[in-house]
Formats: sequence, C-alpha cells, structure tokens
Amino acid sequence: MKALRQTLDSISIPIIAILLGLAASSIFVALANVSPIETYQKLFCEGFGPRGCQNFGDLLFFQVSNGDGGTSTVFSPLYGEGGSRIALLLEQATPLILTALSAAVAFQAGMFSIGMDGQFVMGAITAAFLGYWVPDQIYLLVGVTDPEAAPIILKTIMHGVVPLICLGAAMLVGAIYSWIPGYIKVKLNVNELISTIIFNAIAVQLITYLVNFPMRADFNNIARTRRIDDTAWLIPFNRGIFQDVEWFSGARVGVGLIIALIAAGLVWFYLRRTTAGYEQRMTRGTSLFARFGGIPTGRAVLRAMLISGALSGLAGAIAILGVERRVVDGFATGGTGFDGVLVAILAKESIVGILLVAPFFAGLNLGATNLQFGDLPRQLGGIIISFIILFNAMEDFIRQRLRALLRGRYWTRKSSATSGESTAV
Amino acid sequence: MSNAIELQHIRKYFASSQVLACDDVSLSVESGEVHAIVGENGAGKTTLMSILYGLLTPDEGQILIKDSPVRITHPNDAIRNGIGMVHQHFKLVPSFTIAQNIMLGIEPNRAGFINVNSEAEQVRNLAESFGLPVNPDLPVREISVGMQQRVEILKILQRNAQILILDEPTAVLTPQEVREFLTVVRRLAGTGRTILFITHKLAEVKAIADRVTTMRRGRNVGTHFAKDQTIRDMANLMVGRVVTLTVEKGPAHPGETVLQAENLLVAGADGIPAVFGASLDVRAGEILGVAGVSGNGQTELVEAIVGMRPVDGGTIRYLGQNITHALVRERREAGLAHIPEDRLTTGLNLTTNLDENVVVTSYQHKPYSQQGIFSFAPIRALAQEIIDKFAIKSARVGEPIKTLSGGNLQKIVLGRELKGDPKLIIANQPTRGLDVGSIEFVHKTLIEARDKGAAVLLVSVELDEILALSDRIAVMFAGKVLAVLDAKEATEEKLGLLMAGSLELHEANAERAHV
Ligand SMILES: Nc1ncnc2c1ncn2[C@@H]1O[C@H](COP(=O)(O)OP(=O)(O)OP(=O)(O)O)[C@@H](O)[C@H]1O
Ligand SMILES: [Mg+2]
Repeated sequence: MKALRQTLDSISIPIIAILLGLAASSIFVALANVSPIETYQKLFCEGFGPRGCQNFGDLLFFQVSNGDGGTSTVFSPLYGEGGSRIALLLEQATPLILTALSAAVAFQAGMFSIGMDGQFVMGAITAAFLGYWVPDQIYLLVGVTDPEAAPIILKTIMHGVVPLICLGAAMLVGAIYSWIPGYIKVKLNVNELISTIIFNAIAVQLITYLVNFPMRADFNNIARTRRIDDTAWLIPFNRGIFQDVEWFSGARVGVGLIIALIAAGLVWFYLRRTTAGYEQRMTRGTSLFARFGGIPTGRAVLRAMLISGALSGLAGAIAILGVERRVVDGFATGGTGFDGVLVAILAKESIVGILLVAPFFAGLNLGATNLQFGDLPRQLGGIIISFIILFNAMEDFIRQRLRALLRGRYWTRKSSATSGESTAV
Repeated sequence: MSNAIELQHIRKYFASSQVLACDDVSLSVESGEVHAIVGENGAGKTTLMSILYGLLTPDEGQILIKDSPVRITHPNDAIRNGIGMVHQHFKLVPSFTIAQNIMLGIEPNRAGFINVNSEAEQVRNLAESFGLPVNPDLPVREISVGMQQRVEILKILQRNAQILILDEPTAVLTPQEVREFLTVVRRLAGTGRTILFITHKLAEVKAIADRVTTMRRGRNVGTHFAKDQTIRDMANLMVGRVVTLTVEKGPAHPGETVLQAENLLVAGADGIPAVFGASLDVRAGEILGVAGVSGNGQTELVEAIVGMRPVDGGTIRYLGQNITHALVRERREAGLAHIPEDRLTTGLNLTTNLDENVVVTSYQHKPYSQQGIFSFAPIRALAQEIIDKFAIKSARVGEPIKTLSGGNLQKIVLGRELKGDPKLIIANQPTRGLDVGSIEFVHKTLIEARDKGAAVLLVSVELDEILALSDRIAVMFAGKVLAVLDAKEATEEKLGLLMAGSLELHEANAERAHV
C-alpha cells in the first residue's frame, strides 16, 4: 500500500508535467495556424505508433488489412510490418541512456558537469579511427591483402576482439576527457560547469578539423572518415539474430542497447551497493558531512568524473560502431550528450527513470523530425521537451497547487457541514 | 484580558513517520502575555507552532484569534492575522543586507523599481522604534548569530506582527546575547504584543514567562503560572518522571596524556588567524572543559584537532604521535570521536536515511562492507542498536531523518560517535537545543565514557555545563588558552572574568608599565 502510494506519488508529477508541457507548446502550434490536437496526434504517431498510424487510438490498437480484403485488429507496439517505429526509437534511445547515466553519475557526486557532448564525440572519433586502423594492422600482420578474402576464422576472432578494443579505448578517452575538468575543480576549484562547456567547444572544433583534414577519407561533398571495417561493426539485430523478425527490420538497434542496459544495471549497483558510490553520494549531500566522516572527497569526485566520462565515451563508440559506422562532418554538433543531461534531469537522476525517459525523449524527437504538417518546424520536439522539463522543475509549485486544490475541497466540505449544523440549530 | 489566540483540539498525525505529533492540544494565550512552551525533543512544539503559522494544516481542531475562528492554511493567512514566526533555524539570505532581508517581498518601490535608500531608512526607523539597533547596510553573512536573530524579529515586526512565535530563540545565543534577547522580549510584551516562545532552558521560563505550557508526547500536560512552578517541577512534568538536574560524577582517575596541542596557529574561515598559540592537553579518564565566549577560536581549535581545518603552526600529538597534518580518517581510525557543533550540516546528512548516516565513519570496514560492496544487514543492525541504546523516538531503520526533532538528531550523532569506545572524544556544544532529559542523558554518557578511560574535550558556551562536567577547565580568549584551572577552584565569577580576557588585560597593562 505504502509502496503503491509512493510510486503513484513519484510518477504523478512527470505525467502532469508532460500534459502541461504539451498544453503550453500548443500555443506555438496554434500560432502556426494548425490544430494542436491533430498535430499531437501526428507527432505521437510518427514517434511511437505503427506505420500508417492516424490517431491516438492507433497507438494502442491498429486495424490492418490482411491479404484477403478483411481487416484485423493488432496490438500496435508489437506490430512490425515494414519495421516498427519502436525499434527505431530504441536505436535512438541507446546513446541517450548512456549519456544520461553519465550525467547522473556526475550529478550524484555534486558535480554539475555537462561535458557529455565533448566526451561523446571524443569517444566517437576514437572508435571511428580504431574501427578501421586496428583491422588494418591485423591484416598487415597476418599478411592478408584483400580483407574480403580473409579466412573466416580470422574474421570471427577479429569480430570478437576489435569492437571490444574500440569500445574500451573510447571509454578511456571519454574518461580522461572528463577527468581533467574534475581535477582542476578539485585542485584549483575551477567551476566544472564552465570548464566542461569549454571542453565541449574544444572537442567539437577538434573533431571538425580531424574529419575535414587528417581523417578525411574521400572527396565526398560532406567530409567524412573512412568506414569502419566490417569486423568492428556491432551488428544490429536486423542483420544478426533477428534477421527474420520484421519488427526489427527498419532500425539499427542492436548489441549497443544490451550494453546500455547492462551499463544501467552496473551504474545502479555502483551508486547504491558499493562504498565508492556511497562516498560520492555523501560528498554531494553536504561535503562538510563527508569530510567530517573522513570520506576522501576529492578521490570520490574524480572517480565519479572518470566513470561519467567513460559512459559518455561508450555512448559515442556505440553510436559509431552500431549505427553510423563513420564520422560525418556535423556529427559533433548533434547534441546527444546534452540531450542526455536533459534526460537525467527529467528522470531526477534515477536509473529506472532514465530507462523510461530516454525512449520517450527519443520518440518525441523522432516524431518531431518526421512531422510534416503545416509550417511546423522539427524544433517543435525541442520546444515540447523544454516545456516538460520546465514544468517538471516546478514540482514543488505544482505539488502546492494540487494540495491547495484538494484542501480547498476539504474546507468547503467542512464549512458547509458546519453551516448545515448551525441552520439546524 | 481577552485571548489573543486560542487553539482548540488540534490534532496532527504524520503518516510518513507514523507519529501523532499533536494529540488533542488546546491552548489559550492572552494578549500581552509572554507564554513559554516547553517539552521534550519531539513533543510536538514546533509542529503546533507551525500549524498556528499555517505551515502545516491540522487534521482536526480550530484556531481562534480574538475569539473568532480563522482559517490559516498558509503563512500569508497567518501574517494577515498578525502572526509572525522566527524559526528554529534562521531563514535569511546570507548575501543580502540586513535591510534587504527585512524588506524582502515588501520592498518600497515605484513602478517595480526598488527604492534602496528608503528601504534602509525604513529599517533604521523600525529598529529604533523598538530599541533594536542594527546597521541596515551590513550583509547578513557578516553578522553574528545574535544579530541575525534580531533581524528575524525585525522582519516580522515590519509585517506588523502582534503575535510573535519564537522557536527556540536562545538555543544558539551566547549567554550575553541571551540576556539582551530577554529584555527585548519583555519590551515587546510591554507594547501589548503577545509572545509565544519555545525553549529548553527552564531558567529563561522563570525569568520572563508569565505562563508556561508543557507538552509531552503530543499532549498539553498543563498550563501554569511560571511563578508558581520551580524548575524542578517543570522538568519533571516535561519528562514524566523525576529528573536529576545535577550531574553525579565520581572523582577522575586521569591516566596518560592522550591529546597534546602545542602553540597551535589556525586560520579562520576568512583567512585571519583565529587560534594563535593555543596549547592544551587532555589525559585519559578526564574531561577538560573549554570555556569561552563563542567566537574566541573554540570552533577553529576543535576543527584543527579533528583534522577538518589545516594547522598553520604548532603540533598536535595523539598518544605521543604527531598527527598535526593527519587525515580525518587516520585520526578516526586511531580512536578519535567528534560531536560537532553543527549537527545539521556537519554531523549528519539530512538528505539521506538513518542507515547511511550511522555508517559514515565505519562503512569501509567489515562487517559493513566487503571488498567495497555493502552488506546491509549489519548496517541495519547497527542503526537498530543505536536506536535502542539511545531511545531515539520515531527514528526507524532505513527511513529518512529529515523530519526528526533536534534532540533525536543529536542522539544519532552521539550513538554513532560513541560506538566502539573511542579513546578521545571531542564534543563541541553537545547539548545545544536538547531538552533536560536528553541533556541529562548526554552528560551521563560523557561521564560514562570518561570512566571507561576516554579523554574528553568538552567545548561549551554554557558555563553551568562546563562547571558540572569538567575535571579541569581551560578558558579561551582571543585565540589563546588564557588559563587552565582545576575544576574545584573554578567559580562562575572567576571564569567570567577570564572569559572577558581580564588576564590578558592584566598582562598588557603590565607590559605597558614595563615600557
Ligand atoms: N514533516 C514531518 N513529517 C513526519 N514527521 C514529522 C514531521 N515533522 C515532525 N515530525 C515528527 O513529529 C514529532 C514532533 O516533532 P516536532 O518538531 O514538533 O518536535 P519538537 O517538540 O519541536 O522537538 P525539538 O525540541 O527537538 O525541536 C517528531 O517525532 C518528529 O519526528
Ligand atoms: Mg522544535
């Protein structure tokens, strides 16, 4: 009973925030002279619904015509004709989950680090580089001149090893890139918010340079790096184990999602079950308390920054190895890292929350991107999300209003009861 | 006289902590009266006052002001009805000036632009009219606690409060500030205002209250004229049993020197030396009391000894070992315990639960963790053990501690620090804000620890406490230890003179004469 009340209590505010966010954003939709209801219908259909989804109802149950002219009703999330949108949404949620975890770990050490973007692209470029360089070196070593003709056994071994090398290296690079702002915070008390913003800017410039010059692969209009070797590829489900499942056909969701889920479990375990996680959480609570108890606060903060950076680096590597397979100019400004910060804030840094919010966030983005309706720009998704975050942050205010509303009812009932009494007397 | 306030059958149950904080409480206060509310920690005093001030809504009962029922569901309602409250923990904005704090939200303005000069002017007039002088332009972070309290009082007077609720106003004041404060209260009552104040210091009740209401476990167990009751009566009524107000302790059997501080030089928060050239030593099996007006370097001295503040000069030895620059953890592992002055931000982490608070000094050891992974059963057992041993009402294993009353919070600190028989106990204001029963308990616990062979360094601004507990007494003034007296030869007068720095004056004069 108590547990039920608590869960109800903790999810009621996000849900109210979502509704308020949609209501507030509808002002902008109305300004563009289209109906908000229809827009949202379209938005959610494009983001969460099955192909051909027309209205809110279709999000749950959907009429499909089967070959002989009749129709049958299906449960939409499981309907996968032409590839499910949910799969696509999961593909996009994968890096978001990791960057949100990264933000949560930093926040829970009292570090308001928003360096996820920088760490993400540094991890990505590392994976993109090693993804062709390492196989090259191996082929050279064993004397294979044509990778296509390499023996199957070699390829199988490489497929087991190369992605691991790429992921590990990207985590390391991300971790170091996050450790530096942590170190100058602990030693020199330089504000981490400012230093991570600067580090993000540096990373973006660096990657733009690398992609345009030293790592540019060809004379394609838009500069891009070489494609990673097939053996470095984190094969998506639709090319691997679930080749025949139509549901997965349109999306490159794959091993990366499993890695992200495992990472979420590990982060939860680290924060809640280990002394190291305890140290960083206490440091955040009040650092005076942590110092009073003898907790090595500097070490706890630096450890948090390393873990946070590694998670963002991992996100970048998965985006490359699992989806993009190369870094294209403009990738660095994609903002996946910062979206992760928003997801973490919206989820109140809870791990379960992140696993719920990241797909929702990805779905809204997807819906807004695909939305072709009136003159509405794809930024609508961003507007809605911003409003939701704003209302979510107003939790205390909303709670108070709610309570006042309920209390108002209570009082009127009470006073009417007493007035009833007085008339009786 | 008419009733300024009447509370009728107030009941408040906290479902989250399963505590019936107010149980059918009725109370009437006459206008112009100074009405004290006393009671054990967690008796529901703050809760009752928060209901009157609109911070909490009662489950049942009603509030009458000047004999007519009012609905108070928000502090704004209370202010409209002429009620103002100064909280147990001040709620001022440190970076704002005194004037800005007082006028916060009711700034004199023209078209939304604040008129800064008239703001300061209004505050100055207000302060003068009540005989509570302040400098309106000083930022609050730079003023003393006593002055902050004055600002809080002015703040509610500016809002025309006729009924002032003061929650433990004297807990954090120095004895000097307390005396000033009591005259202020009298003066305010003289202007026809009604004063409701919560306190744990029964002597204050005798000194200024007209009537006193005693609460026990959420019930009003009696309202009496203060002059008809002795301190002992009040204490017994509060606790529901006979309390020993005097401390019983046998003679000390001092052993080896545990702590030896020599010529310490320690900088305060502002970088200016707060301790210069202080020396003292504490032996096993004795209590060394440190007396002094607060702000004479006691806090910095304690922080240096426990390792939370760097030492710029001098040495600290612990059982003969030099620990001047040792880490907090190293000192704690060697057997040092610390009961800090500020339990809310230093001694405890109020954002987390009981378990994570009791384990902060020992989490890295077996059985609480192994290879960096927690084992929760021993931690819960530890928390339960502390709850049982110290009879911490309404604290429960695994639950948040944010809503516990001050006395219960202090018991958690004590339980954690005294676990495992520490060799050296540093206690800074260990009974601040505690009720007589809890004070008795803390005193007994400290003496027990002493008798088991611990060295105890007790810092307190309460002279009574120092005199009652100490075997030797060191007096601090202006960052130095002026003198160390045997407790037997110490009297209140002697200490008072030393605390005012008389020896220092004496020496300075002698030096001048020399030149
Ligand atoms: N918001 C709350 N939620 C749950 N329990 C609460 C809350 N506030 C107070 N309590 C509980 O109600 C009881 C009464 O608390 P209250 O703060 O009124 O005590 P008090 O008499 O002011 O004690 P003290 O002298 O220590 O300040 C305590 O047991 C406390 O734990
Ligand atoms: Mg209280």
